[in-house]
Amino acid sequence: MSILTIYIHHRLKIPLLICGILLLCSQAPSTREYQIKAVFLFNFTQFIEWPSHSFENAQSPLIIGVLGKDPFGNSLGDAVNNEKVNGHPLVVRRYSSPEEIEDCQILFINLHDPDKVVKIIARLKGKSILTVSDDNNFLKQGGIVRFFTRDNKIQLQINPEAAKSADLIISSKLLRLAEIVIPKTVK
Amino acid sequence: MTLFRDIPIQIKLMRVIFLVSGIMLFVTCSSFFAYEFYTFRQTTIQKLSTLGEIISTNSTAALAFQNNEDAQEILTALKAEPHIVAACLYDKDGHLFSQYPSILPLHALPVKPETKGFQFVNSYLEGFQPVMQGSKQLGTLYLKSDLGAMYERFKLYGIITALVVAASLLLAYLLSQILQKSISSPILALAETAKAISDNGDYSVRAIKLGNDELGSLTDAFNLMLVQIHNQNQTLSEFNQTLEQKVKDRTIELETVNKELDSFSYSISHDLRAPIRAINNYINILLEDYTGQLDDEAKRLINIVISNSQKMGTLIDDLLSFAKLGRKDLTKTSFSMKLLVESVWEDAYRLEQNRTIEFILDELPDTYAEKATIQQVWINLISNALKYSRKQEKTVIQISWEDQDKEIIYFIKDNGIGFDMQYYDKLFGVFQRLHSPQEFEGTGVGLAIVQRIIEKHGGKIWATSKPNEGSTFYFSLPKKSL
Repeated sequence: MSILTIYIHHRLKIPLLICGILLLCSQAPSTREYQIKAVFLFNFTQFIEWPSHSFENAQSPLIIGVLGKDPFGNSLGDAVNNEKVNGHPLVVRRYSSPEEIEDCQILFINLHDPDKVVKIIARLKGKSILTVSDDNNFLKQGGIVRFFTRDNKIQLQINPEAAKSADLIISSKLLRLAEIVIPKTVK
Repeated sequence: MTLFRDIPIQIKLMRVIFLVSGIMLFVTCSSFFAYEFYTFRQTTIQKLSTLGEIISTNSTAALAFQNNEDAQEILTALKAEPHIVAACLYDKDGHLFSQYPSILPLHALPVKPETKGFQFVNSYLEGFQPVMQGSKQLGTLYLKSDLGAMYERFKLYGIITALVVAASLLLAYLLSQILQKSISSPILALAETAKAISDNGDYSVRAIKLGNDELGSLTDAFNLMLVQIHNQNQTLSEFNQTLEQKVKDRTIELETVNKELDSFSYSISHDLRAPIRAINNYINILLEDYTGQLDDEAKRLINIVISNSQKMGTLIDDLLSFAKLGRKDLTKTSFSMKLLVESVWEDAYRLEQNRTIEFILDELPDTYAEKATIQQVWINLISNALKYSRKQEKTVIQISWEDQDKEIIYFIKDNGIGFDMQYYDKLFGVFQRLHSPQEFEGTGVGLAIVQRIIEKHGGKIWATSKPNEGSTFYFSLPKKSL
């Protein structure tokens, strides 16, 4: 009996493993960098206060939106899975066009066309959305938070004025970690 | 406790005060110390956990955004607290994230975070504090503090306690020295007074009362006792004085009466001698001159009268010599006692030629006395010895002496019939006789005369005897004073 069981196990295991690896590869081209960034996105919810009017009600979800190609794979979903912030369950939404964006709280913009980005930011004006991007000129374009890499570490740049105009309160603890950048020219 | 019992009351009191205050101080200080120890430990834990709270609150962002430099910076702020020897942050997976100080020996920090809370391990206080953002744990903080602060504090307390104890004991000592006087000084004063009284016998002294407490009443009672003793003494001495006076008066009265009695008996004896001599003479004349005219019955009766009148003459002579002794002063000379006794013995022995007598005479020392009266003593004693041993087949008489300090005791021992000691009181009385005249002749004056002579010389006379076993008569004479 036992010999038979082991045999069956072995027969089953190998195809399962292969399937899993294939699945991971197809769904998540996520790198270590984006795993961390996904966690950072989640962590922003801990250190940033949104005005209460940005939520429909106390139970309505806190939405982390991704615009453009999703670089996080599963990691963002994993990071927010079953998490709640002040009673708001965390939800990830992926938007393919800016028109789809409605009432998210965090928006990761994975677009590198400056005109598009400027347009989108202008569109989001008046809404309390924390805009995040990797793009070098993101803050100049009116974005709030930019990820960048230094010493092989992911660091933050924050434009506190943009945050303020979006009616967001960023914790001083977060500000302390970040490089504060106030661009001279905002288009 | 025996040691404690015999020390002076002052020291006793001081020791009691000292001991009590010392014990109280010790108990107070140790409870204070124990309380401080406990609360300080609690406070230390509290302080460390507060510090941990602050650090962990500050380090949330650093942990959330994996910013080691910032975490490092936050931990480095701990250098403001010199007793923190080590601190570190672990990330939410339990990996070491950041540490303070930056250079630490390999095993100085726990590899993994453990349960929340602080505890004393060896001489350190250490523990873990979760780093929370909202309800989410971002990591764990580890803090390790040496107990230098605690020890410094305790050292300070120790010094303060020692100073306080020393000062308090000094104060207790000074106070006890002052306070014990209120108890000990009345007692000491009382003891001193009692000693002075017993030393000098002066009962008019009074103890000074120093207060109205029990010691005050003791002093009062003591003084009252003194008053009573004083009064009793006075009564006693008054009584003594009157008694003495009475004795003096009585002695004088007695002496007067004695003198009167002496002169009375002297004159009586003297006056009686003449008529008795006359009776004797005339009876003799009657017998000589009228022998032929008297028949035998008359002669017999006359002889009875003669014998009785002679007896009366002897009695009167004895009485006279006894009375004379009271009137005369002694004229003392030194003489050989042995020669005196020998001559008396010769005279006495002559009358007893037909008896078997062994006479032992030791070498007697010379004496200083009135020879004539001492001769009388020996005459009486030797004749008594011969008389009362008459019925013995062989008479043994010994005369000897003993030296006794300031006097010489002479004694004469016979083997005669002796006497019963229960009649000893009658032995030296005048006219007192232990035997009937029919058995042994005599007037009963002899030993009374002997006693009188010896007492007049300042000596004593006594005797020991047993019936049928002989008697010993002792008399003492003082040695010649230089």
